[in-house]
Amino acid sequence: MKPRERVETALNHEMPDRCPMQISFTPEFAERLYRDMQMKGSSIHNPHGGGNTYELERVLGEDMLLTSVGWANSYYMDDKDYVDEWGIGWGIQPYETPFGVGHYTEIIGHPLADSDAISGYKPPDPNRPELYSSSKQMIGDYKDEYWIVGVTVTTIFETAWALRGYEQMMVDMAIDPDLANHILDIPYNYHLTAAKELVKLGVDMIWIGDDIGTQNQMLISPKMWREFLKPRMANFISEIKSINPDLKVAYHTDGKIDPIIPELIEIGLDVLNPIQPASMDPAQIKKDFGDRLCFWGTIDEQHTLPFGNPSDVEAEVRHRLKTVGKDGGLVLAPTHHVQLDTPLENFWAMVNTITSTQYSSL
Amino acid sequence: MEKYLEQISQAVVEGDRDSAVEYVQVALDANLDASAILQEGLILAMNEVGRLFEEGEYFVPEMLISARAMKSGLELIKPLLVGGDIRPVGKIALGTVKGDLHDIGKNLVGIMLEGSGFEIYDLGTDVSPEKFVEVIQANEIDLIGLSALLTTTMPMMKTTIQAIQNAGLRSQVKIIIGGAPITQEFADKIGADGFAPDASQATRLAVELIG
Repeated sequence: MKPRERVETALNHEMPDRCPMQISFTPEFAERLYRDMQMKGSSIHNPHGGGNTYELERVLGEDMLLTSVGWANSYYMDDKDYVDEWGIGWGIQPYETPFGVGHYTEIIGHPLADSDAISGYKPPDPNRPELYSSSKQMIGDYKDEYWIVGVTVTTIFETAWALRGYEQMMVDMAIDPDLANHILDIPYNYHLTAAKELVKLGVDMIWIGDDIGTQNQMLISPKMWREFLKPRMANFISEIKSINPDLKVAYHTDGKIDPIIPELIEIGLDVLNPIQPASMDPAQIKKDFGDRLCFWGTIDEQHTLPFGNPSDVEAEVRHRLKTVGKDGGLVLAPTHHVQLDTPLENFWAMVNTITSTQYSSL
Repeated sequence: MEKYLEQISQAVVEGDRDSAVEYVQVALDANLDASAILQEGLILAMNEVGRLFEEGEYFVPEMLISARAMKSGLELIKPLLVGGDIRPVGKIALGTVKGDLHDIGKNLVGIMLEGSGFEIYDLGTDVSPEKFVEVIQANEIDLIGLSALLTTTMPMMKTTIQAIQNAGLRSQVKIIIGGAPITQEFADKIGADGFAPDASQATRLAVELIG
């Protein structure tokens, strides 16, 4: 089966030969992987799929390839502090693992922290043709073979809070809805334009995302979600599907968000990502919503991958295949970019178990 | 008197900063004791906020606006508390460990602990083990709260506890930890005194340990 057929089958709620796989990495894990496979890395790896060469993804046997246009491309842009084109400041944050020192890029400056800056703020222009050249190229190169995902994550809330400040944005949502709506519209409009362009270029799926779950409950109330995010997401999904009715839409949010899953389905969502197993039991979510929703993710990046052993990883993959993978509807992936603290043995146990387990053998 | 305290408490629970400040002022003008305003107005309100959070009625934004209201009310009475017979329940230093810049969880814990009458030293994010040691030595801290969001910075919690141990301060302080990937099992493994999954439960834990 070609990778794209495999994904198409799974997202059609049918069982392909094996479960489709998608994996992204932090830049330092990608470097380690290049070394492990004795390959020569050709550029800085962007886990969101902006400007990637897809060498690692293809060698590993991944089935979906990602191409990103939007604010999320501001992650991992440089190895020293920088300000991106939105005016958002980034700091380089080193951390130590048993496998070396890694670096995160973390948001440290918010251009709209001062309320006076809001009315005169000019966001970047999403209509610049050069933003789409690498997507155009990769769609031409790989669409015959792979399922292509246009990435516009950090779609509404996450870019908004990066502009305004995390706590202040939530305070605005609680006490000044007009202001909050004004700020939320800035990234919403940008990413909607980008997503529409990616759909016109021929991506198979658009991946939107905003983290609105914490480890054990929603970050904002379902009521607040209904007020600020649901209507925007509904319109976003409807506009991009009107360009291509066969388009699939995936949504990323970390954490526990089960109270709003029925409403995500109602507004046209096809695929939920990443279902953190420590927050929501993937088997239960499948049982409750699996006839109407597909799942992408479910391999625990908080415990099993970094701290388990290869047999724990293999057992988790097989458990997911038997539960969430039942009748298709699943793309296996770690619940986050694979981090530098992950032992390579665990990584390979994940890849090898996914690629070598035929659904018919379970 | 009860009416004044009820109004203060209600304004804080509703996150209405202006009303909270107004009612605290009204209460002070009516010669209400600052310590009563603190204990039976502000602290009581934040206990209620914690309850609503645990019961899933309140989420992070509601907690943030209640905290703003509580803090603004507290600012008004603070000068009157100094020198009085009101002592904090205990001194707590909080920080996100070295390598980690995530602070919303730590901030919520700080809000709820402050709202329970503890004195808080918020050391911010990316806090080195040495800094924790220094702050314990300088301020007679009773409890340390360590936060980490990332699996890659969790091990720094163990390093920090070891540094406190090496400085001969371990018996002086209780240490509690929290953050998305943290579990009770991990807390036991690295020798912490406790773990809590959210800000409200962290406060209960702190009260149990040093309150």
